[in-house]
Amino acid sequence: MDYGALGVYLCLFVALYFEVFLLISYLERKPSLKTAGRPSYYPSIAMLVPCFNEEKTLEHTVESLLALEYPKEKLSIVIIDDGSKDATRAIGERLASEHGQVQFFHKENGGKYTAMNWGITHTESELVGCLDADSFVAADALVEVIKRFESDKAIMAITPAMKVYRPRKMLELMQAVEYTFGIFYKKMFDNLAALNVLPGPFSIYRREVFTSIGLFKHAHNTEDMEIAFRMHANGLKIANAHNAFVYTTVPSTVWALIKQRTRWSQGFLQNSQDYKYMYFNRRFGNFGTLVLPFALVAFFAGIYTAVYALFHALGFVWSKISDLFATRIPPHITTSHLNWFYADTGMMPFLIITVLCGTLAAIFLGQRIALNKQDITLKALVAYFALFGFIAPVWLFRAAWGAALARESKWR
Amino acid sequence: MTWQRYFLAFVITAAIFGTAFYITSRLDNARIANIRTTEDSISIDILSSETQFELLGNLDCSTIAQNPVLSDELNTLASQLSVAEANLGVTNPEVIQLKKQYSLLEIKDYILLQNITNKCGTKPVYVLYFYTNNVACDDCTRVADVLTYLRGEYPGLRVYSFDYDLDLSALKTLITLHKVNGQNLPAIIVNNREPVYGPQSLDSMQKLIPELKSLAAATTTSTSTKIR
Repeated sequence: MDYGALGVYLCLFVALYFEVFLLISYLERKPSLKTAGRPSYYPSIAMLVPCFNEEKTLEHTVESLLALEYPKEKLSIVIIDDGSKDATRAIGERLASEHGQVQFFHKENGGKYTAMNWGITHTESELVGCLDADSFVAADALVEVIKRFESDKAIMAITPAMKVYRPRKMLELMQAVEYTFGIFYKKMFDNLAALNVLPGPFSIYRREVFTSIGLFKHAHNTEDMEIAFRMHANGLKIANAHNAFVYTTVPSTVWALIKQRTRWSQGFLQNSQDYKYMYFNRRFGNFGTLVLPFALVAFFAGIYTAVYALFHALGFVWSKISDLFATRIPPHITTSHLNWFYADTGMMPFLIITVLCGTLAAIFLGQRIALNKQDITLKALVAYFALFGFIAPVWLFRAAWGAALARESKWR
Repeated sequence: MTWQRYFLAFVITAAIFGTAFYITSRLDNARIANIRTTEDSISIDILSSETQFELLGNLDCSTIAQNPVLSDELNTLASQLSVAEANLGVTNPEVIQLKKQYSLLEIKDYILLQNITNKCGTKPVYVLYFYTNNVACDDCTRVADVLTYLRGEYPGLRVYSFDYDLDLSALKTLITLHKVNGQNLPAIIVNNREPVYGPQSLDSMQKLIPELKSLAAATTTSTSTKIR
């Protein structure tokens, strides 16, 4: 008996359970459609743009902020150069001189969280936002965020709907599908009041967040995740504005992607260790009882499934090679039986197909929520299903290894 | 937080697993039924061939030569049983029962072949192949692969494969008659010669069966009807 397969069945059960749970959540509360309504009040906001060696994208990022449909006197753009060594400083200074809304500050390199904290402590606006210098916002994104803040006074921070900026290469297309999937599950996490991260691209906070729970921390290079954990720990509500679109550039090489995701995954493991008291703790709602445990199980399930698949694939190849050497049968073509009788109709293929269908459903729902008409092509789906399963295990292994050795992950 | 949602998701997930199990079981049952139908069909074929042999017994052997008596369906049955073994396991009682029937049909086919050979002086090329499922036997699998390949190359080659450990008196008698030692499996017997044990490559197998040269090689691509 293949006892290893039992573990795979367990992983499939957990994956299917999670998909079913999110789909139920979707049916219970479908995301609202975008409306032309405007906010009744425009709070002042400081959009912080922390940057380190971002000469290629900084100008475009700031231009997208300048193009926001928001009263100019209420929106200030604060560029914080965290000790860049390229032309970022020159570009930032020029932008500040050309646009009254833009302020530029240069500081010694100390990491992204220090740049964010510098911006928070040197501004006094009602809201504080962050936009990574490799991301660009839609013109109405801020209005959509403010409308979401107005919908519930208890909301203390808001995440946007993130899309990939101009995906072209296969790896970018893969991430475009992944981000679309992310739009769906983030909205569902919003339904469950269990959003687990406030990403760098265009997360907006009420200033009270920082006065009540403190500033950003180093948090294993995942300060955007830690602040979400800390907010849940202190009962501060996080929401998602699914109609606020932000476009982010994504790694275009496999190695860059692996490094980025290793940092995220390792950060999750290390923050989980720091906030382990929240796991299975009903006091923290769906965040403690569903999202955190599932994310951890998914992490190790990914590793287990990859090891199982690799073990079997290598075993298969080895047996074929040793058979070839032992029998000396020349390579030959055999015709397969085109009959249902010979098809693999075991439980595992059936369940894998079901899980993949659930993933496809989530992607298409994400596409619907994000009003994505052009990004998710058949080519992108092929890229996602063909590549993700091979690349993801690499960063999971690296993250587990790094966390086990308590080694600091690299930002870049 | 609504516990109903957690429970509902669990019920739906469990239902999907239950459905997968049910469909798989139904398909396995359909496979068993399919094998049984094939065995019944072969059984009738062999009975018909035996009757035909008795009817033609006093006639010219050229008439027999024009009426093929050995059922090719045995090959199909072999590959179907392999699939059933893979899906249900080698210890499944249904599979064991079907294998017993299959082995009996093979033995009857083998006896019929002997009778025709004696009566008509034909020169068939046949191999009795004994394997075991009780222990992991990579050599058994490889010998089966070689025989499958050869049968694809030489359609006239008859291969009768037997699970040595099957609890079937007729098979035990065959094993005793040919003095097959179960300690050194796999074993092959070519045209009633002494058993040969252990792994065989394609070259060594061809040397063991020199009669292959008398068989016409296949001109078409071999099929993947696997020997068990």
